[in-house]
Order: sequence, then structure tokens, then C-alpha cells
Amino acid sequence: MEVHIPKTSAVFAALLHADLTTQWRNRRSFVLVLMVPVIILISWKGVVDKLGGAFALSSCITIGLVAIGLMGYSNSIARDRDKGIFQRLRVAPVPSWSIMASRLTVQLMMILLLTILVFLAGFYIDHISLSTSGYFITFFTAIVGGAVYLGLGQLIVGLIQNPETVNSTSRLIYFLFIMVGMFGEFGILGEQVKLMSMWSPYGTVKHIIAAGMEPEKWDRQTTIALLATIGYAAVFSFLGIKKFKWNNK
Amino acid sequence: MQPQLNVLEVTGLNVYYGSFQAVKNISFTLRPGEIFGLLGPNGAGKTSTLSAIEGLLTPRSGTIVVAGFNMQEKPRHARAALGVQLQFTSFQPELKVGEIIQLYAGIYGVAMPPDKLAGVLQSIKLEEAAEKKFGQLSGGQQQRVSLAIATLHNPSLVLLDEPTSGLDPQSRRQLWERMEILREKGHTIILTTHSMEEAESVCDRIAIIDHGAIVVIDTPSSLIETHRDNPAVIRASRRGRITLEDVFIGLTGETIRS
Repeated sequence: MEVHIPKTSAVFAALLHADLTTQWRNRRSFVLVLMVPVIILISWKGVVDKLGGAFALSSCITIGLVAIGLMGYSNSIARDRDKGIFQRLRVAPVPSWSIMASRLTVQLMMILLLTILVFLAGFYIDHISLSTSGYFITFFTAIVGGAVYLGLGQLIVGLIQNPETVNSTSRLIYFLFIMVGMFGEFGILGEQVKLMSMWSPYGTVKHIIAAGMEPEKWDRQTTIALLATIGYAAVFSFLGIKKFKWNNK
Repeated sequence: MQPQLNVLEVTGLNVYYGSFQAVKNISFTLRPGEIFGLLGPNGAGKTSTLSAIEGLLTPRSGTIVVAGFNMQEKPRHARAALGVQLQFTSFQPELKVGEIIQLYAGIYGVAMPPDKLAGVLQSIKLEEAAEKKFGQLSGGQQQRVSLAIATLHNPSLVLLDEPTSGLDPQSRRQLWERMEILREKGHTIILTTHSMEEAESVCDRIAIIDHGAIVVIDTPSSLIETHRDNPAVIRASRRGRITLEDVFIGLTGETIRS
């Protein structure tokens, strides 16, 4: 019997097709993840005039990114690990990295979709428009920001085995990030929390997304926020991958 | 005439979980077209041995060679020569049976046009299941789909981890027939089971494993013959005649394992 090693590209294509189909069949949950930032944007019509379009759009995109990384990615990984889906894939001639790369590609598409939806809602409802370079840089900063929360999601499934505990932990962190991030940003929780919030993963991601929308305002502090964001993504991903186990038996 | 290559060679295998040694210096070989049973009480080291052969866990020492490929040195080649049905097989619950088969065909590099897919489903008598989700199938149907997926790429070695547990007698018999068909096609099969009846019915050779080590390897009939006069086996005998189960109990003890 001949041994045939499939091309990695063909393996990846098969995995991606299956993962996209799975995501599509779960469209009710991913529509919710995408709709929350859009609904917030619609309800913030008054805020846009006071704080500016970049503030509103960057807040909504950041909220969406947190939801994708923490609610979507980590829960799907925890569930599939618990059901033994990864183990079945790993006994096939599949490079382990391609299993995760396929999952992350789906999340990357979600990030792009989220950014487009928020742009569309901002344009048609709040009449916010950006320069061409503003749109392009925001796509880039959204992907960098998304990497922080995907990395954090990876860290959660790396540290926690039980899928129900992963679910509750990711929800808790989601609300903590949103609440402390937003209220902290406004200074409601004091100056110290404001400073912490500014340099937290929520604050730095929001900062670079907002600056990406107005490239002319990109300054030294934004570059430091970008480096901090990349640092968060690298640390979370490194620890998440290091601690990750393919099965929880 | 050249001697036929062993399909599986396990040499000096040692598997640890932390400081606990689950598999102790296990060695055995499998010949082409052989059905080999790995028997043992719960926690004896069967699944750990299989997991090491599948490449799911890295042994502390020892070598595993599948169809001439060393699992540590050429894991993708070794895995490509393997067909696996895990003890708790699960596929993405959102995918339909046809989509799952196409996913694994893609992974193994097997072309799967619609007519071939229909043929695969027909061969397992599940022509109507292509549009059903895996979770909607009965236990027996799920096992048939899992076995079909495990053999899509015509592997040299098929690993079946307790394939008949939870199946009704009809489904079990059907699976035995499928194993026989696979053997006739030249596949080598290694299976773990708690059913002595199954081991006696389908296996050419059996290894009894306990506390991580192989106690004995032989054909079912030779095992019974060799241990017929063993006092522990006679003590375990309940029906006046020695069965494989009596030999198993005699060699591994009557204590219930975790």
C-alpha cells in the first residue's frame, strides 16, 4: 500500500472549508457578536457629535474585537478540544499548526467583517467618513488589536481545560474589559484607573484603532501604544500556545 | 523471495505521565493482513500504547515504525500510513456526514467527487446519510462512518480503539465483518477491546497487557491451550471449560481496576 503525503496547502484548504462551514452554521452567535458593536454605534448617535467619529468607531470596533477573541474563538476551541475533534485531526497527516491557522483565518475574516460593518453603520447612520488611508490603516490596526484578544482567548484555553469554565471566565473578562476600559477611560473610576485603562489591552487597542482612522494625528504615544499592543499579543499568544493542551483527558 | 515488511514495529516503548509509568518496555510487531488484539483491564496501558503509535503522545523511549516510517522521525509519513478510529470519535457537530467525509478526504489527499462519495456511503449502507449531521446517526451508524473515514486513504495499518463498545449485537457482527473485509484487502488491524468474545472471534493474535507491560502474546487458541492448567485460570473458570476470558482473568487477576 502506497503512502501518500497530501500537500499542506490542500490540507489547509480542506480545514478552512470545514471551519468556514462550521462558522456559517453557527451564524446566529456570530451575528450577535457582530451586531453588538453596530447597535452600540447606532445608540451613540449623540456621542459622535460630542466625542468625534474616531472615538465612537474605535470603541465599537474594540468591543467587537474583545467579543470575537474572548467569546467566539476561546469557546469554540474549548468545545472542540473537549469533544476530541482536535485529537481526531491530529492522528491524520496534518501539521498541528495548520489546525490552528485555519481557525485563526476564520477569526481574521470575522475581524475584517466586523470592521466593514462598523464602517458601514458609521457612514450611513452617523455620517462618519474617513480618508482612504484612514480606512486601510484601521484594517491593519484592527487586525493587530484582534491578535491581542485572540491571544488572550488562547491563554484562557491554555490555562483552563473545562469548556464551561472557559465560557464563564471569558464572559467575565469580556465585561471587565468593557466596563473598566470604558468607565476608566472617562475618568469615572479615578485618575489611577484612567492611566491603567489607557495602557491596558483595551486602552492600547482602542488608541491605535482611533489613531489609524486619523493618520495625521498619529504621534509618538500612538507608536508606543502600537508596540504595547504587539507586546500584549506576543505575550498572550506565547503563553497561550505554551500552556495549550490538545486534549483535556 | 524477500520477507514481507512488518506493518508495525514497536520496540522498547516506555510512556510516562509525569512520574507515573503507563507503558513499560513494550515490544511487538504486526505482520501484513493480521488482526491483532490488545487486551487489558482498565488503566492497563492499552490506550497509552495506541496513543503513542498514533503519535498523540511522545514516548520517553523506544521506537515506533509504521510501514517503514519512524513515528518520531517522519510523523506525517507514519500517520499517512495509519487509519484511526478513536475511542471517542467526534467530528464538528455542525458538519453533515458528506462534508465530514470530504474534509478527511481532503486531509488525506484523496479525491472525493460526488459519485465517489455516494459509493463510500453506499459501502456502509448509509446512502441517505450524506445530508445528516453526525450526531443524528445511531451509535452503529457513527461507527460505520468513523471506520469508513479511517480507511478512506487505504492505510496499511488500521487502529481501532474499542470500536464495538456500546453497540448492539447486530452492529457488532457487522463491524466484525467489515474488519474481515479490510483484512482480505490487505490491511493490518490493531484493536483494543474488553470483549473476549470479540477478541476470540476476530483476532489472529492477542497481547494481554497489564500494569503497562505485555503479559503474553499468542493466538487465542494457543493462549487457552497453554494456560489450561494454570491454577489461577482454573479458578477463574465458571463454565467447566476454559475460555479466553478465564485466561485473561487468570493472568491479570480478579481485582477490579479503576
